[in-house]
Amino acid sequence: MNRRRFMESAAGAAAASALPLAASPGGGVAPSDQLNVAVIGAGSRGREDMRNFMRVPGVKITAICDIYEPRFAEARRITKEETPAFTDYRKMLEQKNIDAVIIATPLYLHAEHVTASLDSGRHVYGEKDMAKTVPECDRIVAAVKKSGKKYQVGLQYHYAPWYIEALNRVKAGKLGQVTHVYSYWHRNNDWRRPVPNKDPKLERLFNWRLYKEYSGGLLAELGSHHLHFAARVLGGMPESVTGVGGITYWKDGRNVPDSVQVVYQYANKATLFFSSITTNHFEGAQIKIYGTGGTITLTHAFGRYNYEPKRAGTGEIEEGRSTQQGLVTGPSYRAERPYEGPAEEFEIPEGNSGSATFLACQSFVDCVRNNTRPQIDEHVGRESGAMVALGNLSMETSQTVKFADHVKPVA
Amino acid sequence: MQAQNPPLRRFTESRPAMGSSFTIHLYAEDQARAARLMEMAFDEIERVEEELSNYRAGSELSRINRLAAQQAVTTDGEVFGLLRLSLDYSRRSDGAFDITVGPLMRAWGFFRGEGRYPKPEELAAARAATGWRNIILDEQNRTVRFTRAGVELDPGGIGKGYAVDRVIGLLREAGVQSALVDAASSSMAAMGTPPGEPGWLVHVPRPGNRAQFISSVLLRDNALTTSGNYEKFFRIGDRTYCHIMDPRTGQPVQGVLQATVVTPDATSGEALSKVAFVLGPERGRQFLETVPGARALWVVGEAAAPRTVAWKWQRSAPAAGATGARSVEPHGRPYSF
Repeated sequence: MNRRRFMESAAGAAAASALPLAASPGGGVAPSDQLNVAVIGAGSRGREDMRNFMRVPGVKITAICDIYEPRFAEARRITKEETPAFTDYRKMLEQKNIDAVIIATPLYLHAEHVTASLDSGRHVYGEKDMAKTVPECDRIVAAVKKSGKKYQVGLQYHYAPWYIEALNRVKAGKLGQVTHVYSYWHRNNDWRRPVPNKDPKLERLFNWRLYKEYSGGLLAELGSHHLHFAARVLGGMPESVTGVGGITYWKDGRNVPDSVQVVYQYANKATLFFSSITTNHFEGAQIKIYGTGGTITLTHAFGRYNYEPKRAGTGEIEEGRSTQQGLVTGPSYRAERPYEGPAEEFEIPEGNSGSATFLACQSFVDCVRNNTRPQIDEHVGRESGAMVALGNLSMETSQTVKFADHVKPVA
Repeated sequence: MQAQNPPLRRFTESRPAMGSSFTIHLYAEDQARAARLMEMAFDEIERVEEELSNYRAGSELSRINRLAAQQAVTTDGEVFGLLRLSLDYSRRSDGAFDITVGPLMRAWGFFRGEGRYPKPEELAAARAATGWRNIILDEQNRTVRFTRAGVELDPGGIGKGYAVDRVIGLLREAGVQSALVDAASSSMAAMGTPPGEPGWLVHVPRPGNRAQFISSVLLRDNALTTSGNYEKFFRIGDRTYCHIMDPRTGQPVQGVLQATVVTPDATSGEALSKVAFVLGPERGRQFLETVPGARALWVVGEAAAPRTVAWKWQRSAPAAGATGARSVEPHGRPYSF
């Protein structure tokens, strides 16, 4: 069996048209107040989601689904019990004791698995990005509406206290007019995962992120965390996107770029620049929000505010100074250097403790229990999905892509 | 004729983690695969640190430390399992191993410092907040609760060993057959042996002198852990106060310079090396009798006149050229008292 065929058959076990399944009574939440959560896709991210859901009181992981069976043992190492495991997600969704489903499969399967879970009457915590294409995102939005269930997309940094603080400061005008957001996700590695025993049949299963048939590449798998947060800062969906991407270094059979640079432009000409490279780690992962009143830097661990240095020349603007005696010219002695002044670290408020993923999972469970709408819901997911999909389209076509040509206004 | 697999080559990488440095030695076909395996391994160490570090505000352990005095805190099976294992060792050792020694370490100035003699009231407060019995685990609901304010979980006693074991497990799943994972040289676990060799050769140094060896052992699918009093300590007069606390007395352990244990895994090795250090050779070996596969080597007495006490210890002299075994720490010379 060649790689391609393996992946197709492997996907076939998990992907199929969504079957209409009976919705569980009572809106899906068990009367005991225990929330039963299943996971489709028990790879590294799925297992991290499981750990974090288990930290929320009253949550039990009741089923695991994956097409690669060795992952069952890894997942059960987290649940510490013989959690029922399935290789076919349809069989899993037929089980009664499931209230909500975590979807942590490769991007190209998200729409399939999210809609099937919603159609079966389950709430869904769907890993980012929402789906691979804009029409698939639209299908999920429609499925959420039809089912009446909750959907939250796994863009967990929106729940990080220092991200929330940044957004609050922007909304309160502390940064003046925000004109630019620059965001970096730079690494120095091949972005590959080791394949067990170097088995070529498992290459695409383990390294699906490197193949555009299954993945949205760096823009989807890394960039989406930054893109939509930046969109919230700059005011929602951009007008256009222009991107370049290519394989600059890792010529190892992958077909997604190992380097992407994308610029989104807004109606007011504000821009969002995103760069992801895999050959140098210097910048790491960070978002810089630039406004006329200062700069905010966000990383995965902290937020920081820098005052905008006073204008060059310092001091107040003078009026009426005479230049009658002439001005003196000479060489420039002070280059424009990066700002090195003091910074204010954001404080994490007490009570908001735990990782961003934990806070996101906790918030989802609260929404299910209290019947409230997740903050990072299907509409946020659709905007994020569109930003990624159209950024990739721009790279592939070497054209500027207008959002209005591809994304219909929400009905 | 069938093509032969390429010969395995040895690769080594060190990176800072958990306040010290982790080094991984592994055998792989080529540099590209080795780099991938290293990346996976160090990612896992980072993940474990992200869960357990009490220097990181967002870690799961920090969350528990912040909340558990006010409410029962639900946690995941992995963290709960590690806490349960830790408390199990505390119970079995009657408190010689204890993951709540953080307040004591602070009182004695060993938290981010080099140590000092505490004031009586500081010591009393720290002793009151120390004690594994202050932690209530609820198996049914997977919750952690502290009986009083001021209690804190300190991963220092077990976290490195757990990370080492996790990496060994991941490398094994990835198909690696020969590796040694070394956390700060105090906690090591070996998988298989270097190709064609009887084991991974590890030297146990004389306390305070890494160039002189008191023993050498070959590791193979087991772990070696060392606790020593010479990394952080201070002196008052002729008395030395080390950073390893006897949680039962609230005082630094006296009379033991170093304890090394060989155990089936590094997580239990971390706990057992502390138990061995705190209890000393006499009572320590009684305890270790209950642990299958355990062996121990103590260095006791005064630093100027140390003596070794071995228990089930299989010495393996590093006769040059005799075994062909490669040394993990190749620059020292054998030493005997």
